[in-house]
Amino acid sequence: MLSWLANRTTPLSHIVQEFNQSAAPGGAVRAADCPFLVIDLELTGLNAKQDHIVSVGWVPVRQYEVVLNDARHYLVHSPVGVGQSAIYHGLHDKDFTGARDLTEVLTELLQAYAGYVFVAHHCQLDLRFLEVACQRIFGKAAKFSFIDTLNIELYRLHKQGIVMKQDALRLHHCLTRHKLPQSGQHHALADAYSCALLLLSQLKHSHPDITLADLQLQSR
Amino acid sequence: MEVAEVSNFLAETTPFDQLDAGQLTSLASNISVYYCQNGETVQLSTERLMIVRTGIFALYSDQQTLLTKLEQGDFYGYQLLLTGLNDNDNLVCEEDGLVYWLAADAFHQLRYQYKNIDIFFQRLFSRRLHQYKDQQQNSRFTLKVSDIVQARKIAIGAAQSVQQAAALMTQKRVSSLLVEQDEKLIGIITDRDLRSRVLAAGLAADTPVQQVMTAKPHTIDKHAYLFEAVQLMSRHNVHHLPVLDKQQSYSMLTATDIIRSQQDHPVYLIGEIHRQMSVDGLEHCASQISSLAITMGKQQVPAHEAGHIITTITDALTQRLIALAQIELGPPPCVFSWLAFGSQGRMDQSLNADQDNALLLEKEPVAEIGVYFAALADFVCQGLARCGIILCPGNIMASNSALRLSLKGWSGQFAKWVSTPTPEALLKSSIFFDLRVIEGSRGLFNALQQDILAKTSDNPLFLYHLAQTTLQRSAPLSFLRNFILEHDGKQKKGLDLKKRGISLITDIVRVYALSAGISEINTRQRLVQLANAGVLDNKDTQNLSDAFDVLAQLRWDKHQHDLIQGHDVSNLLDPNVLSGLQRHQLKDSLTVINDAQSSLKQRFCRDL
Repeated sequence: MLSWLANRTTPLSHIVQEFNQSAAPGGAVRAADCPFLVIDLELTGLNAKQDHIVSVGWVPVRQYEVVLNDARHYLVHSPVGVGQSAIYHGLHDKDFTGARDLTEVLTELLQAYAGYVFVAHHCQLDLRFLEVACQRIFGKAAKFSFIDTLNIELYRLHKQGIVMKQDALRLHHCLTRHKLPQSGQHHALADAYSCALLLLSQLKHSHPDITLADLQLQSR
Repeated sequence: MEVAEVSNFLAETTPFDQLDAGQLTSLASNISVYYCQNGETVQLSTERLMIVRTGIFALYSDQQTLLTKLEQGDFYGYQLLLTGLNDNDNLVCEEDGLVYWLAADAFHQLRYQYKNIDIFFQRLFSRRLHQYKDQQQNSRFTLKVSDIVQARKIAIGAAQSVQQAAALMTQKRVSSLLVEQDEKLIGIITDRDLRSRVLAAGLAADTPVQQVMTAKPHTIDKHAYLFEAVQLMSRHNVHHLPVLDKQQSYSMLTATDIIRSQQDHPVYLIGEIHRQMSVDGLEHCASQISSLAITMGKQQVPAHEAGHIITTITDALTQRLIALAQIELGPPPCVFSWLAFGSQGRMDQSLNADQDNALLLEKEPVAEIGVYFAALADFVCQGLARCGIILCPGNIMASNSALRLSLKGWSGQFAKWVSTPTPEALLKSSIFFDLRVIEGSRGLFNALQQDILAKTSDNPLFLYHLAQTTLQRSAPLSFLRNFILEHDGKQKKGLDLKKRGISLITDIVRVYALSAGISEINTRQRLVQLANAGVLDNKDTQNLSDAFDVLAQLRWDKHQHDLIQGHDVSNLLDPNVLSGLQRHQLKDSLTVINDAQSSLKQRFCRDL
């Protein structure tokens, strides 16, 4: 898990290069055969150019099983104080002893999860922050393949002809709808785990042979 | 890195609840989480432990018989992990849910590190074997030797004198001794031996025990069935059997022990009750009810039969107290009926029932008639209280002058409840509609009952209000079919099997019975008659009857458990102590109640 340490001599941009070179599964691959990494970021704000990543949580899903052994949660050193955003994620400046540099965290992510399909609930935000961070740190844009449980849920509900109330697509409402256990919200790993459960339920309620391409279509 | 939701769940799940936070985190990290869909067969591809997080799973044997249902906190796969053998059973998901898979290495390490966790899974495994074998076996004659004799080894050395033997018997107040040599049983000596072989034969007081004892006595193992012991005694015409535990002396079983063990048979106890000449004597008889209950439990007497037996004993106590009162007060000045209401009336009394009784008199309770029956009622109610049937907190007792009425008085009282029903009045009075005569004139009682039924049947306003009262309480099942637990005064959490279960069925059935003019008052009997009369269809009555039996059985088992533990008998049950199948049956029963309440509402609360 700390393999990035051994490879410290490689130029930083190579990390992104290697990540981009590992082929993400093709669209024809069955979702059941596809490795997923469910990720969640806690942020100081919504603007990827100005705001910062406060914490990162992820957990992989392989063969439709959430593998808790590989679950990770890191607090990230922020160049500025967390300030007002603490009201959402509950993390205050004093909590950041033991935090990591974003470089370390992203290096581990890119090296361990090349070839994975990334998953998030409302993924555009997470994707944008990850892209900006990679560009800044490694000088090169990483190409992530993302699917979005929020959009999949929207697709499902549309298909069932269900009229949605406001907020119906928020993660904890989705969990209730799928009769899944609720976790504490705005904790990066707890949210990533909840999102992973939601993904499993969505996959199980789809056609057994659903492909990655289908999921990507539903995620748009 | 821990996912709090997972470690929190583990922290509340037996046997992991004994681990500290750090241990739970490392346990959680060895788990993979899987979503299982209705109809899916759980694949036990590799050796690992399955922990049910949510959903319902049905376990079938290789012959496809349903063994049990697994729910939140239940385990599967431990049999393979513990024995390396596959049972060829089949686990099928019945309701979508999440399962945790715990890796085999982590499971074995946990067992190795924590003896208690190891023992927990070993027990689970042996209980499972047990489930396979005698799931349906109903053995009533399973009382064992160890159930009636205690570990009480009173032994004397073979070389000691007969005088020492006599002294030991006197000191320990026993009629026989085990004779041992080098820690081995070699014989027994009884007080009869001392009489016939020592005194009558004129032997000296210092004669060694060995010389007069019965050598090589017949023995019985502590785990043998009691009927085997009886057989052995009668075949060899002996009255004493040394009891062995793993070939070592354990205790002595005497013919008297066996007779005493049968004394708490209800027939015997009821006979005894009718022979008593004082309230003290009755109190002593009543003190045997709890040991009778334990015996009935061991003999697997079903709950409804046990309820019937306990009611019969209460009836006997009441009848005897009335007889004793008449000895003290003289013959009654007029004809009367002693009435029982509520559970005694319905013949489904439990161990913690209170008194609900009243007097129906031939004449108005004025002057000396009033004085006489006041004294009689007081005598009986106080006597019952001494026998452990507590005074009614709501004062529904014959000792309350408002409940000592003539036929006219009672008829007027019922007329008031029936013609101007108010919810509060009905809540209090509904038990009066389950009435039975315990002692005195049956004719007088029949006149009253016919009068009541004539008033209630085809009386939509009354039935509407009675049904409304019934609907005020609901079964403790949440929207997602989880149990709703409540606290009792002692802050114990649980589900009140009586208030939120049995009583609800009793209430529902009462409304139907009164509407149809059915004179039967026992809930199960009422259901039979309702089906016969076509008031309810067969399926509904069967469901209600089954639900009633399940709840009554759970309560009876709970009372048994309380008695054995020496606790106060309570109706509050913690669903976590139930097996998967029992929990499932409980949920089904509560669902039946919910459905029956909706039908009741449909039928009686519509048109007004």
